[in-house]
Amino acid sequence: MIFEQTQRTPYVEISSSACTIRGECYPENISEWSGPVLEALEVAMKLENASFEVQIELYYFNSSSAKFLFDFFEYLEVTAEAGRDIAVRWLYRAEDDTMLEAGEDFQEDLETCTYELVQIQNEQIS
Amino acid sequence: MSEHKDTVGLHAFMQERRTLFCYSGPMTEDLLTTIANPVRHQLSEKETEEVVANRVFGVFIEQAQNIIRYSHQKTKATGDSVGTIAISLDEDSFLIEAVNVVSESKRDLLEATLVDLSVKDQKELRALYRQRLKEGPPETSVGAGLGFIEMARRVKKFEFDFQAHEFGALFVYRGWVS
Repeated sequence: MIFEQTQRTPYVEISSSACTIRGECYPENISEWSGPVLEALEVAMKLENASFEVQIELYYFNSSSAKFLFDFFEYLEVTAEAGRDIAVRWLYRAEDDTMLEAGEDFQEDLETCTYELVQIQNEQIS
Repeated sequence: MSEHKDTVGLHAFMQERRTLFCYSGPMTEDLLTTIANPVRHQLSEKETEEVVANRVFGVFIEQAQNIIRYSHQKTKATGDSVGTIAISLDEDSFLIEAVNVVSESKRDLLEATLVDLSVKDQKELRALYRQRLKEGPPETSVGAGLGFIEMARRVKKFEFDFQAHEFGALFVYRGWVS
């Protein structure tokens, strides 16, 4: 399932084996946007039991969206604890300390998911 | 026609105080969507480092959403929140200013929250942000409580003030980013 990128929400692609989030996140109403995304994630993850890859590449998110990301990771961690093999890659641009710190903070609450902070170059932004 | 409306004076005032963007009036999420891109454009015009521009933009968004959610002054017709928000250049920094009315009952809580944040260093702010994210807002919080912590993390300095106002207290916030 694909949630197209808008000015205030990131591109989200969810399949039974992977989830990608890329862009900026400061929607008008976070729960209106994040509700369907989290629902789609739960549905997709129940389709298979193979390893699941998550890639997050955010350039900006507001404080309301931080709560969504927290819930998103909490769901992944609970699912990993239940036996699913989940690997998370948090992509941040070189020099973007804000997104690096955010990635580090979310990492602290994940024990069972594999988690990797990946520095990318600015040129990669489409 | 009101002769005293000084149009040229307004232009000169905005130029002299180096204000890149200013909006004063009813603030809505729709309006924020509309002005977000022009604000970004203004910031990139100044050949600002992208990380700095992002910090300015981050503080701007939190302030605009604060006005939308908590301004105590509403338009009669649609109940939209009224406030003022501006981004200016101040020496080698960006100054983000926001002004809106808050109720007398919210004033004390807001003041206590901001006094508390103003004495915390970056490490403490980061820890507090994480704690709030996990535990949710404290019962006494104005809103989620995360917005002001987020802003405090992005600015190098912030000031705030409350002034008497007919609908409550006029809340003034100034944050500098560089």
